[in-house]
Amino acid sequence: MEIDREDGRTPNQLRPLACSRNILHRSHGSASWSQGDTKVLAAVYGPKAGTKKNENPEKACFEVIWKPKTGQIGKVEKEYELILKRTIQSICVLTVNPNTTTSVIIQVVHDDGSLLPCAINAACAALVDAGIPMKHLAVAICCCLADNGYAVLDPNKLEEKKMTALAYLVFPNTTLSVLPEGSSLVEDEPVEHGIITSVTHGVMSVDDYFLCVENGRAATASLSAFFRKNFQQSQRDPSKAG
Amino acid sequence: MGTKVSSSPISLIDQTVVPGDVVLDLSNLTNQTIKLGSGLRQDNDVISSMRAGKLKYSKPNKYWVESSHKRYVPRPEDHVLGIVVDSKADNFWVDIKGPQLALLPVLAFEGGTRRNIPKFEVGTLLYLRVVKTNAGMNPELSCTDASGKAAQFGPLRDGFMFETSTGLSRMLLSSPTCPVLEALGKKLSYETAFGLNGRAWVNAAAPRTVIIVANAIMNSVTLSGTQQRIMVEKLLEKISD
Repeated sequence: MEIDREDGRTPNQLRPLACSRNILHRSHGSASWSQGDTKVLAAVYGPKAGTKKNENPEKACFEVIWKPKTGQIGKVEKEYELILKRTIQSICVLTVNPNTTTSVIIQVVHDDGSLLPCAINAACAALVDAGIPMKHLAVAICCCLADNGYAVLDPNKLEEKKMTALAYLVFPNTTLSVLPEGSSLVEDEPVEHGIITSVTHGVMSVDDYFLCVENGRAATASLSAFFRKNFQQSQRDPSKAG
Repeated sequence: MGTKVSSSPISLIDQTVVPGDVVLDLSNLTNQTIKLGSGLRQDNDVISSMRAGKLKYSKPNKYWVESSHKRYVPRPEDHVLGIVVDSKADNFWVDIKGPQLALLPVLAFEGGTRRNIPKFEVGTLLYLRVVKTNAGMNPELSCTDASGKAAQFGPLRDGFMFETSTGLSRMLLSSPTCPVLEALGKKLSYETAFGLNGRAWVNAAAPRTVIIVANAIMNSVTLSGTQQRIMVEKLLEKISD
């Protein structure tokens, strides 16, 4: 049973992606990421000396500030900040700069569905721009379920409203490796099959959830390739290559 | 140049890598010492990249990821420009654009004794050498070279300091001389100091020379060698009439 999407995309097709890095003058790293009409700006400051009171001083500390487009900061924004902080802590190498704080500030420019994955991608690009040491990149995707059981990737706001459930999924990126294929397996699965973060809204069955995860995982390859290509293009500037 | 590393199928040397890319497999290289520079970390048997940049290799055994950022990662024997933020009994606290403030011992000067401690005000610009950097500790600096001589380290008076990226300061310090500096040097006389931490200082007799040199350097970030020479020629032409 085919599902008709308003903008004519297939169920597994993502919206056009755009990413630019080093756009803010004063911040140490910045990036803007847009998926279709959803656009998020991320800025990274740091690492700066000192950690907050309840944080472990033997590791690097991250703080996330989420700024919505309009309105006051409430519980939704605090939840996004917490999810982003945990995701960033999973992907960054925390032992390289102990006793430092890195601030990540997310500014929502426009919300047209799939906002949290867009913000995670923007934050990851900004961290790369700032040179924060990371274990791998985080690639985030939103997958939602229609009531006929069909899974659809990267919904816009209208589609999100019609869906019964949705899942935000964050995977590690697909990496280049000098190792022969199949040698870097963690418990018999390649590293890319791991999942970093998963946030679900609504009611879905376990099988439907795994279907969402499979579809999301299949899309990470194209997102990783986009990021790599975007970075290579900016590397052609002699300044970036040193 | 892309040299093959043992018998691996692909080599990432001189390629752009992103965090997570596995660049070396240690199980194939036995009994070799490998030196890892910035941006690489060891994860059991593989070396993977922590930053996005270009993977570089220098014989016989040095690997690193080269990238340009606004902040600096202190390394020993780097020459940097620091700004004094505080002075205590034993050390000056100096900001070198790194994750931590750095310490400059009060006696780390040529002929430094307890009787002739220099008095640096907060905000003084110093040309310094990074002595040691240990994980978790503040980096240590010195105003002498390894043999204890002053060798032009110390405060930089007058002139104009501006911030650059680490990639641009590496380009300005490369040898042979960077094309923009050479082209400017043919017509103008000026002195400069560049810190690997992304700070540059320019001084000349007249303020307009300082401004011309500083603007030419800031414009040359994305230009190739020939483009830099053309840019400097055009700039000097405009100024002279």
